[in-house]
Amino acid sequence: MKLRNILPVFSLMIFGACVENPNVTEEIFLDTPGPSKSWVTGLRGQLASTMSTILINTEMISDNYFNNSTLYSKVFDAPVVDFTDLDVNILQREVGRLREMADYGLETVAPADPSIEAEDLAYMHFCRGFALLLAGENFTGLPIDALGEVVGWQTLLETAIEEFDLAIAESSDAEAIDAYQLLKARTYYKLGDLANTRNLANTLVGDTSLLFMAGFDGENGFGNQLQGALFPIGPNQSFEPLPRLDFLDPKYFNRGTAATDQRPVALAKAEEAYLIMMEVLLAENNLDDAQAMGVALLDVVEGRSTELLDDSGETRIGPNRSGYPTTAVRIREDENSTFKEGYVLDRRTDEITTFTVSGTRVTRDEINATTTVDELLYLVYRLRQEVFISEGRRSSDLGIRFPVSETEQLNNPNVGDAFIQPVLPMFIPLNGGMDAFTVDEAGDVTMLFDMNKVIVDNKTSEDIVPFM
Amino acid sequence: MKLSVGQLLLIALACDLAFATGLKGQAENVFDVKFEMSVKGRSIHDVFEEIESKTDFRFFFEKKVLKGRPKVTFEEKTLGDALNSISEQARLNFRQVNEVIAVTEPKSDKDKKPVEVLLYDKNLQGRVMDAETGEPLIGATVQVKGTSMGTITDAKGNFRLSVPDDAETLVISYIGFETQEVSIANQTTFNVSLKQNTSFLGEVVVTGQGAGINENRISNKVEVIKAEELENIPSQRIDQLLSAKLPNAQISLTGGQAGATSLIRARGVNSAFLNSTPIFYIDGVRMDNLNTRGTLGGGNAQRAAISSIADIPMDNIERIEFINGGAATTLYGADAANGVIQIFTKKGGASSKTDITFEVQTGIETPTTDFLHFERSEDLLFQNGFYQKYHLGINGGNEDFGYSFSGNFFDNEGSQFADNNANRKIDFSTGFRAKLGEKVDYNSSFIFVNNQFNRNRNGNQGGYTGLWFAESGSSTLVGFNNRLDELTDAEFDEIKAYAHRAEELQDNEINVNRFITSQSFKYTPINNLELKFTGGIDYRLQTEQTIITNEYLSHTTQNEVNDEGSITNVDRDYFGITLEFTGQYKWFAGDFSFISTAGGQLFRNEDRQVEFVGTNIRDGAQVISDAAIRNSDEFLIEVLNYGIYVQQNIGYQDKVFLDLGVRGDRNPAFGDNIGTQYYPKVGLSYLASDEPFLQGVDWLNSLRIRGNYGLAGNLPPAFVNERTITFTGFQGEQAAFFANPGNDDLKPEQTTTIEAGIDVAMFNNRVSFSVSRYNATTQDALFFVPPTPSTGFDQSQLSNVGEIENKGWEISVNVEPIRTDQSSLRFNFSVNTLDNEVVSSGGTAPFNINGFSARTIQTVVEEGFPVGYLRGNLGVFGENGVFESTTPNSFLGTTLPDLYGNMGLAFDYGNFSLFANASYQQGAYAHSFDQQFRFLYQASEDIIPAAEIEANGRSNWLNFTNEFIEKTDFIKVRDIGVNYTITPGSSAIFNRITIGANVVNPLNFASSSFDPEATQSGAAQGQGGASTGGISYAVYSAPRQFLTTVRINFK
Repeated sequence: MKLRNILPVFSLMIFGACVENPNVTEEIFLDTPGPSKSWVTGLRGQLASTMSTILINTEMISDNYFNNSTLYSKVFDAPVVDFTDLDVNILQREVGRLREMADYGLETVAPADPSIEAEDLAYMHFCRGFALLLAGENFTGLPIDALGEVVGWQTLLETAIEEFDLAIAESSDAEAIDAYQLLKARTYYKLGDLANTRNLANTLVGDTSLLFMAGFDGENGFGNQLQGALFPIGPNQSFEPLPRLDFLDPKYFNRGTAATDQRPVALAKAEEAYLIMMEVLLAENNLDDAQAMGVALLDVVEGRSTELLDDSGETRIGPNRSGYPTTAVRIREDENSTFKEGYVLDRRTDEITTFTVSGTRVTRDEINATTTVDELLYLVYRLRQEVFISEGRRSSDLGIRFPVSETEQLNNPNVGDAFIQPVLPMFIPLNGGMDAFTVDEAGDVTMLFDMNKVIVDNKTSEDIVPFM
Repeated sequence: MKLSVGQLLLIALACDLAFATGLKGQAENVFDVKFEMSVKGRSIHDVFEEIESKTDFRFFFEKKVLKGRPKVTFEEKTLGDALNSISEQARLNFRQVNEVIAVTEPKSDKDKKPVEVLLYDKNLQGRVMDAETGEPLIGATVQVKGTSMGTITDAKGNFRLSVPDDAETLVISYIGFETQEVSIANQTTFNVSLKQNTSFLGEVVVTGQGAGINENRISNKVEVIKAEELENIPSQRIDQLLSAKLPNAQISLTGGQAGATSLIRARGVNSAFLNSTPIFYIDGVRMDNLNTRGTLGGGNAQRAAISSIADIPMDNIERIEFINGGAATTLYGADAANGVIQIFTKKGGASSKTDITFEVQTGIETPTTDFLHFERSEDLLFQNGFYQKYHLGINGGNEDFGYSFSGNFFDNEGSQFADNNANRKIDFSTGFRAKLGEKVDYNSSFIFVNNQFNRNRNGNQGGYTGLWFAESGSSTLVGFNNRLDELTDAEFDEIKAYAHRAEELQDNEINVNRFITSQSFKYTPINNLELKFTGGIDYRLQTEQTIITNEYLSHTTQNEVNDEGSITNVDRDYFGITLEFTGQYKWFAGDFSFISTAGGQLFRNEDRQVEFVGTNIRDGAQVISDAAIRNSDEFLIEVLNYGIYVQQNIGYQDKVFLDLGVRGDRNPAFGDNIGTQYYPKVGLSYLASDEPFLQGVDWLNSLRIRGNYGLAGNLPPAFVNERTITFTGFQGEQAAFFANPGNDDLKPEQTTTIEAGIDVAMFNNRVSFSVSRYNATTQDALFFVPPTPSTGFDQSQLSNVGEIENKGWEISVNVEPIRTDQSSLRFNFSVNTLDNEVVSSGGTAPFNINGFSARTIQTVVEEGFPVGYLRGNLGVFGENGVFESTTPNSFLGTTLPDLYGNMGLAFDYGNFSLFANASYQQGAYAHSFDQQFRFLYQASEDIIPAAEIEANGRSNWLNFTNEFIEKTDFIKVRDIGVNYTITPGSSAIFNRITIGANVVNPLNFASSSFDPEATQSGAAQGQGGASTGGISYAVYSAPRQFLTTVRINFK
């Protein structure tokens, strides 16, 4: 074969061997019909993913749950938080990803898709707002744009309100609008804006069925990690609730295969309007109305569905600590409290009642028996803890805030050192104190700290109880 | 006496002619030939012509010899006197060899001699061949011992030589082969087979050169391992086989399970994103060399992964060449920075004889229990397994055609209970070589391998895993006393029954089918020009099935389940094509010789992985069609790389060689802003021993000084330069997400190596050593820049931001203290130093390449530290022994040794031979998660102060990870073997029978309490990611084998 023949053959071979990216490039995605539908579904998936990360980490860092496994964070339980920690980075990434995906949807996908619907635009605004709300509740500050300057949590929350307003303006779905309104109220509440909180929350009280949830999808990798920790199939490695919250465990569980039965998490539910209003009323020193609001709240809670569950496989055995009660022993919130029954369930004998939306052991009598703002405030925070358990709210109520991650700081020139320190309020016990308890000879359990008391005792701290 | 090549050629020709004419009868001495001649002012050429016209004598000379010579004047009466006069006046030397008169130019006045007369009436002829291959040796020197009489062999290895009657011995020598002396006696025909000399330079090598070239001419070392060095080591894997054979590379199997990955490092770790495994070629065809988990399946991040190296066929190897990066690999371009291992398969000999070999190898595989914490873990998890292997090899051919066949069946029950590590392998390979006419040579090889093995759960797989259960003490989680050695017999029987059942209920199987072929044509249109085309494919299909039954889950969790059973299948389908075209032209100009090489290479591979999973499936089902839920996933990556190269090798007086080359590469994986990437090299090789001032040094056989500068690269993975959107399902609808951020500036990382070295052979080649110093800097190192949280991307983007430096010494020594006709004793020893550092991370946050979460243990890449150092919590204890404080993200030790090497001995006495090989390392550290878990699960108190345990129990178990780090210095004897060869001369059937015995992995000496090599190499970065090992966690040690071999070679 002559050289002049070889060269074309060789060139042909190179040409014939060309490779094509089997993945969809951004250009192709935007050029094919209906990108906004897929993007909004992606946002729903991302919301699931973000919530999964928020739940597993914030429930652990709070007094709600103890990580009695060798999985997940090894230090948040203490709590120890450092900006170099990979889990801090993951938390920030999940929140940032939800916001950035919403941004991209609004700025790039929406303009490229003439068929986009208003409800999809509303959902994008909601996601952006919700990401900023999560950021404002759980972080000291975060960038508001990709590689942007870090802004404080107040600014994050203020921007969240703007987004919720845009979502409300675009949406014509009444239920969604109510949820967005409630999220707005929650945002104002966290900002300590009493007037706006009162106005919004007041309009929502009475809407007892409001329940806006984020769903998961275990078959496609969008599982609820907390469900796996609360109701594991593995060899007894799981999250253990603080014994006085035992009756609320597990909020998430599966019947049959875990992958096909992933329980959703409530993002906005009617109870919150009542809880917010109770604090508003207490801030206004209106104990009577606050009590009435509390009693009305219990009606809402009791109206929520429950399920019976065979949880006899729960042994409360794990590598990190033993001694969790598994029989119906008595508990007390701390050594100064009195023992109470009904808080720890004996799961081996009967099916248990699970509260898949809300549950509480706070009673009307307890609410009505309060004589001071602080007494009812204590019950408000008990209610918040019990109603919102496993929904990722408790650590924010305790004033815990995560820092901006090291990765963000290294890659983003706009991150100063001011935001790389976590906020762990001085009153938060360290070295596992929040999860600690003792068991006496009779098997009765005493918590080391009653964190609701701690909250009330420190209510003037700028980190907690927004209206005090 | 040493003769230059030119002189030898001339004399050879003279001898040939003398031989031819000599057949007519005895020649006369020129001084006895009456030849009256009166010459006045005539040219020498005229004089020669006149003599030739009047006598039977013929003059032979190079034209340049007569150029510029003065005209001569003389009057003599004999031819000898006439030649003497010419010699005096024109300053020429004459040597009469029968009727031929060779004319040469004396190099100096000292070299000027009177006319020499050599009259021989004994005509010898013969052939010189390579003892191993039977190939003719072209240009071998045949000399009469003690004289300057000699010749060289022709293109067919033949020689003819006239010698005096009293000549006693012929000395036959050839560069790269052991010199042989042959007694002449009454023989006139000689067939001489020379054995290759392993300690001498001068071999023809191919790898990294485009075409064959003498190693003397290139500036880097090429490690060559020959078939006979390999055949006695009973290894089933090429990397295991090479681990004690390559002096300057470190190869460690990271686990004892079949198909386990290995860590292969030559010259450190030059990449923080890519595995340090070299690229593999078989007969010029690039192989799948994935040595980490795949993207789907293949073991997850922290689980023992499956290696593609494990099934590279082993039994038809002619030789292996290894080059370790730098200038040596420049011609491989953009993905050869880790070095190249090339395997050449057998294509038959040239001796017209068919060589048939049958081999049976049987024995027992037992667990390596040296590193178990509990003695009783052995009873719990291990067994002795039967090992058998059968091999049939046929090799034959002649000068124009050669063939080989190898067939093997291997079956090993393995040493893990319930045959959970059983391995069965069947492979066939053929090789052909044929001369198609005068100018075309054809070579081909076909190889098929089927490799099937079981795996039990190991590493961080979650749930029950045998070692975690027994050695890490997690048996306490299901209610057992985890201090195995303290249990009563009854208690132990109970836990044993549990573990045995858990092992029996596991059903994980991997099946690999692999087909490889290489086809090459060599076309020689004119002398000195060789055009070669090579093409071939490697097709590898790996199927992996993991069946988790409800019974298994119920048993291991002690919690009855009936709807969690699952079957996970992952198919990995690799198809690679290699095409290469090379032209090589050799030409000479005076003292200069030139070898010009140019070529182009293309490789394209496709890696498709498909996962299909069935969950909620009834026990007993083998296919997912019976599952309540079925899921699937797919991964596809295609790589195309093409480049052209040119290389010029210039030799001066066959002792100084300059090597220049450049390759240009293009690849769709490069960013839009990146064009062709160039890889230049320049090197110098100087054979100082050819200098006159060293030629008199008797003890020195060869001395070479070499140095080079060269670039080689590592390719970024395909398509990561593009910004993409990924899709998945969410609640039944299509969901879109950000995928790859994209990088228009993405390019291969480039490792620049500067190297200098010296190779010496002395004392009749009984001592040889080689020393190299290298400094390799990877610029534009590809780092997985962790995604910035605020950007919304969750995938790391590869960016060329880092810089990594590796430098060190490479020393290898071979000594043969005993060499007699009957016996020999040889030692080899290598010493390598390594200094590795991430010089710059380009501002990238430290990132984990192979560990767990930051609060446990990670192997991390960070500026100012070695690649993959151990990072975790550094705890401090007070004087009272109670924990005081911890510092997270602390440096806890490097995973890279600063000193490593191999050693071996081979002793032959008559038909008996004994050999042993070992490897060692020093200076590295590793973490034992097993120990840390033992502490947590209260299975041991031997690391942490008692005061701390009393004060805080196990609650601080993660706060002093440093306590579970140990130095991992080791010496491991890889194998010890003995062979006895019987040569039944009287048998018409048997040529040779070899009986052998081997112990594989017989001895381990380590500073750590755990196996320093059994470290996870899952590479958390994913497919092909960098890994440095360093974390020991529920990984099995390579087992010990006691094997016997019978190898029969038929006549």
